[in-house]
Amino acid sequence: MSDALAIETIDLRKRYDGTDALCGLDLRVPQGSIAGFLGRNGAGKTTTMKILLGMAKPTSGVARVLGLDATRGDASVEIRRRAGFVSEEKDLYDYMTVDEIVRFTAAFFPTWRRDLEARYRRAFALTSDARVKTLSRGARSKLALLLALCRGAELLLLDEPTAGLDPAAAHDVLQRLVSHAAADGVTIFFSSHQLAEVDQIADHVAIVDRGRIAVAGALDELREQHRRVQFVFDGAAPAASFRSTGVTRVDREGRVMTVLCRDGAESIVAEARALGPVSVDVMPVTLQDIFLDTVTAEEE
Amino acid sequence: MLWYKSWLETRWRFLIGFALLLMMACSSVASYPRVARLLPDALPLVRDVDTTSVVGRQILRAIDAQSTYRGFVWWQWVQDNLSHTWTLLAILLGTGGLLAQTRGGAAIFTLSLPVSRGDLLRTRATTALAELFVLALVPSLLPPLLSPLIGQHYSLVDALVHALCVFVGGTVFFSLATLLSTVFSDLWRPALLACVVAVALFLVEPVLLGDAPYGIVGAMTAEAYFRSGALPWPGLVVSAAASVAMLYAAALNINQLEV
Repeated sequence: MSDALAIETIDLRKRYDGTDALCGLDLRVPQGSIAGFLGRNGAGKTTTMKILLGMAKPTSGVARVLGLDATRGDASVEIRRRAGFVSEEKDLYDYMTVDEIVRFTAAFFPTWRRDLEARYRRAFALTSDARVKTLSRGARSKLALLLALCRGAELLLLDEPTAGLDPAAAHDVLQRLVSHAAADGVTIFFSSHQLAEVDQIADHVAIVDRGRIAVAGALDELREQHRRVQFVFDGAAPAASFRSTGVTRVDREGRVMTVLCRDGAESIVAEARALGPVSVDVMPVTLQDIFLDTVTAEEE
Repeated sequence: MLWYKSWLETRWRFLIGFALLLMMACSSVASYPRVARLLPDALPLVRDVDTTSVVGRQILRAIDAQSTYRGFVWWQWVQDNLSHTWTLLAILLGTGGLLAQTRGGAAIFTLSLPVSRGDLLRTRATTALAELFVLALVPSLLPPLLSPLIGQHYSLVDALVHALCVFVGGTVFFSLATLLSTVFSDLWRPALLACVVAVALFLVEPVLLGDAPYGIVGAMTAEAYFRSGALPWPGLVVSAAASVAMLYAAALNINQLEV
């Protein structure tokens, strides 16, 4: 992975009919990374992807993809030549057959990968002469992925790529995405509500909440920064307010107090020892912890 | 490949319209012997028509025009069947496109391709205009080809001139439907609104403008050419200019479209 950025947005804003969809989004996706883009419904994920591909115009701010200004018409055509996209709805041309839409799409991309096309056609068991409108949601998702993966793209923007797939198919697709990124050095930027699958394949993550980035960075570093500290007391866990910085959440249930923190657990452990816990455990956090911590903290 | 996509999206409207116009052209020619037999009997009946009324004048105009085979073909085929049906097909071929595809979501797939929105509109419009040209031209060749079968002659030049006038004069309805399709995301409102404009124009223009040379309907039916051999240039220019202006406005709308 290089230091160059595949995607960069600076103070990106988008206002739709009086509603702020993006409120100063600062996003940096390194080239060659697999970056998960997380957020609740309506947080601004799809709007961001559409702006990056020139489908929507930002109200203000900078959006650069592969070094090109995504807000300029001619540059956005070049971006779409070098990037693959799978939309959340996986809507394709219903009136075409699988064969027709593959040939249609391939014609726009001189870098179209026939080898991958043949491989994914077999792997996804797509019937060539089946009309797109007759495909199941899962088959449609697979076809949409095939059309994005075979473009020979430097960057893949995938909006909920596994939506509509059963768990086995979703796992298979995720593995193929990882292999694809590893083999060709492709940057993958994907949104998902399935935190487990982001945890499984992403090396970078950005959590967007109410139109701005709440947390972003390398997933390993984020995990390293965040800790869950669990204190067990003899009796009911006492009400306590911590002076240490980095405490993002304190939960009490019976004898157990759980503290989520961002900047190291040592000072919190030292502070809590004064309360006389019978046991203290410092545990790593999951992506789900970070996500819930972030979006709940923003809500509060 | 955008051509291929545009063809797939419009082919049924084109093919059904093509078959319909071919049948109408055949039917117009085939019905002449019967009309020719009935016409002498009809003439005494219309002698007392009130020529001060619009309807009366229209009846006399129709009878007068159809007193010759050339006039019969012009009246039945050019100014009636071809002009009206072609206009409807122009409106139908003008509807649809990127905004309509936002409803089904396929617009996002289209916009993810490395082509500009201008290219998308240009390709779709050019495909539909090519289809409309065929719809005007090929059925219009049938009267010259079939007329010998009923012992008549119809000039190939007349057929070509009328086909070109219908095409150039009528593109304004295609452009109107295309423009409306960049405003409304469904298929029906653009089609209905364009039909209302077309019907109003076909009904009102002859009454309001009479033989004025700059009317759009007058340019399509080319009555001036039929009667005097003069091409309706002002009407053709007005229609072509209005078409270009509306397609330009449609391109501006499509560039502003956000999905």
